[in-house]
Amino acid sequence: MTGITKRHLMAGALALPLAAGGAFAAQADTLTVAGSGGGLAQVMDMLYDQPFTEATGIQINALATTDRASALQAMMRSGNTIWDVAELSPVDYAIASTNGWLVPIDWSRADPDGLLPDEARLEDAAVVATYSTILAVRSDRLPEGQAMQSWADFWDVETFPGPRGLQNSVMDNLEFALLADGVERADIYDLLATDEGVDRAFAMLDEIKPHITAWWTAGAQPVQMLADGEVAFTSAWNGRITQLQAEGVPADMIWQGGALKPSYMAIIRGTDMEDAAHEYLRMLLTDAERAAQFAELVAYPAMLPQLYDHLSAEAGANLPTHPDNMDVQFVTNALFWAEHMDRLRERWDEWMLE
Amino acid sequence: MRLSSILFALGVLLLFFPILIVVPMSFSADRFLGFPPRSWGLTWYRAYFGDPVWMAATFRSLRIALFASLIATIAGTLGIVGLGRIGPRWRAGLTGLFIAPAIVPNVIIALGVFILALSFGATDSIVTLTFAHAALALPFVVMIVGAAYRQVDSNLERAARVCGAGPVRAFLTATLPPILPAVVAAAIFAFFISFDELVVALFLMGGAETLPVRIWNDLRFEINPTIAAISTFFVFVTTAAMALAELLRMRTIRKLRDI
Amino acid sequence: MSPGQKWTVLPALALALVMFAVPVALIFREALFDPAFTLTHFERFFGRPVFQSVFRNTLMVATIVATACLLIGYPMALFIVTRPPRWRPLLLFLVLVPLWMSILVRTYAWMVVLGREGMLNHALLTLGLIETPLQMLYTSGAVYVAMVQILLPIMVITCYSAMTEIDMGLVRAARVMGAGPVRAFRHVFLPLSLEGALTGWAVIFILSLGFFIVPALVGGRRDALIGNMIVNQVAQTNWGFAAAMAIVLLAATIILLALLRLLASKFLHSPRQEST
Repeated sequence: MTGITKRHLMAGALALPLAAGGAFAAQADTLTVAGSGGGLAQVMDMLYDQPFTEATGIQINALATTDRASALQAMMRSGNTIWDVAELSPVDYAIASTNGWLVPIDWSRADPDGLLPDEARLEDAAVVATYSTILAVRSDRLPEGQAMQSWADFWDVETFPGPRGLQNSVMDNLEFALLADGVERADIYDLLATDEGVDRAFAMLDEIKPHITAWWTAGAQPVQMLADGEVAFTSAWNGRITQLQAEGVPADMIWQGGALKPSYMAIIRGTDMEDAAHEYLRMLLTDAERAAQFAELVAYPAMLPQLYDHLSAEAGANLPTHPDNMDVQFVTNALFWAEHMDRLRERWDEWMLE
Repeated sequence: MRLSSILFALGVLLLFFPILIVVPMSFSADRFLGFPPRSWGLTWYRAYFGDPVWMAATFRSLRIALFASLIATIAGTLGIVGLGRIGPRWRAGLTGLFIAPAIVPNVIIALGVFILALSFGATDSIVTLTFAHAALALPFVVMIVGAAYRQVDSNLERAARVCGAGPVRAFLTATLPPILPAVVAAAIFAFFISFDELVVALFLMGGAETLPVRIWNDLRFEINPTIAAISTFFVFVTTAAMALAELLRMRTIRKLRDI
Repeated sequence: MSPGQKWTVLPALALALVMFAVPVALIFREALFDPAFTLTHFERFFGRPVFQSVFRNTLMVATIVATACLLIGYPMALFIVTRPPRWRPLLLFLVLVPLWMSILVRTYAWMVVLGREGMLNHALLTLGLIETPLQMLYTSGAVYVAMVQILLPIMVITCYSAMTEIDMGLVRAARVMGAGPVRAFRHVFLPLSLEGALTGWAVIFILSLGFFIVPALVGGRRDALIGNMIVNQVAQTNWGFAAAMAIVLLAATIILLALLRLLASKFLHSPRQEST
């Protein structure tokens, strides 16, 4: 009897890597979508996932995930694709696209009526939402009669004293530094491609560094820091600031110089659910009414121009793609960052430790 | 003695400080973390128990921890019995190997298991994660059960064998009963090692989140008192479980004294 | 005794090999082959000052945290061991309970306490000890406090179990022979318990080396540890480089253990070892 037990245990331990391979094979009637979870996932579930299941009979398995580029590389290397569709940040998208991990999108199926602008229709991805890194300000902490209006003001510690926060990230901050130094929005990435441009950005960051009391790493942090007064001025993601205002915290968003970022939805190579994935994309991309409801709830609007027809002027003005806000922001250049990220991040890490 | 009591109390206060903060915060009705809370309610307990994503992560973690604990406890207990039968040189080497996962930083093991899983297409597998957690818990089983086993009189088992019992029977009837409470205590320890483990799960699981991964991901996007509610709930559950384990451990010691 | 029972070590051996030894070996392959043999990852690590300063910082934080735990944990263990036996499990249990609250959550609790408008600043302002709020969150101090809180129970348990093994008869003997309580402690109890204290110090030092949650959440810009770098590099798909850093960390762990062993065998000639 011991023999049997022993052998079973051994077999169990040794067969593990083999057995585990098939453990997560996709089921035919389920579409696995890698998103970011939390409140966003709840809104997605209500507006898109449940109606999609009702209409098609296909279940949506919405996963809350982070570090999606790394997870995708793991899937490609192990040959075990467990996601059918994934929402990707600009840099994750650039890595995935250049490595050929994404399935080309058939736009005659995903957007048959051609409702989307060209910028949202990429060869291997669709822009499903947009968000911005903007300057957020506790208005009750401003000096009498003054209003902060730009990154140059954020850098102006004489006029606007108070603890400040920035993200511990090279992306966005180099751009903000150049804007604060008077560079035009259109010239940012040409300048950052040169050593002088990068030096100039870091020289500006040197000036503000002693006044930054918090370098945030998680998107929830700046909101919490504004709420509890840890900082008076900080960069932040636009969606959460709206919630802060709803809570009664006197926080303002400064769109001037915001970094607008597309959020991409892509179909992952190796999926056997391409048809369902296209169907799901079509629902996400082309339904203006749902897109308006979504934007009202989470402030990360799609690029569908028609969605503003279904929104009040007031709600629309709080969104990153509203024409007034679009005009004063710049769009983060994903390809630039995919190419230069490693080198610039090393310099950033070194600079942080100085 | 007065002074040392005060110092000890201060040490315990430092240890309990986060719990003293988190428990009241969990009964807050505010949207953001703050202490003391401005309004009170069960909002965040409802948010936790009512959210299928949180529940799925919780049950996944419970399942993984249950099996990881079973594997680690069985392998560790059998291992202790085996270690008693082999030469001292091998014994030292093997004991070292079994204890090693406890003294190598988890982030290293996590990276290694991740690379191993990649080569076999076994990422995103609950099975891989369960066995990895079992390996992380193994040192604690070996230490806890080992300590109890050393106190057992090996003559008992020998006597049982002389009386005609087979090795399995001798183990089950003579060796196991006195160390059983220690085995149970080890199983409970192993359970919580797995239940609280973040970094292996973070590297390994692209899809199915465990509870710590869910908390970690949630913190990256929003800070609200849900996590305070979860931890309060589990602090009470775990305290009760640990009290049970401790009682069992003490019973072993008493039993061993009686023998 | 049947020789067959030796084989009961096999399940544990298989588990430790497959889920520990093989993975650690694979880290070496990942760091050194890409796919041909290469030292680029190590060259990058040793070629850039940033990684070395993070590494130095990691060693420093681990030293401070382990020493602080020792200074607080040793007296706590001493306190427990000198209580009547029936009180000890309860006191030990008090020390153990906080171990079972998620590290993530405990770290967040410190954010609430140490913030600019947090509890501690409120208390200090109300007491009139400070005029303006202190910057406590996002500093190295916050990292130390949070890490000590997390690791302290391990020190107490290690010291405690070493102390319970001490033959109190020896201490009594010293007292009988005319040594005062301080002298008996210094010459008999302290050397005997030092080994456990040293083990506790080493375990906490090693565990500190791998921390990444605490510095990420409550540390300032200079408080990144090598664990943070490894996690970041994994997220950015630079697995080979992450593996190289893991190897440097592993090497540091092994060197430290070897040094402590040497130290212990040289200086710790405890009476217990001589008598047995």
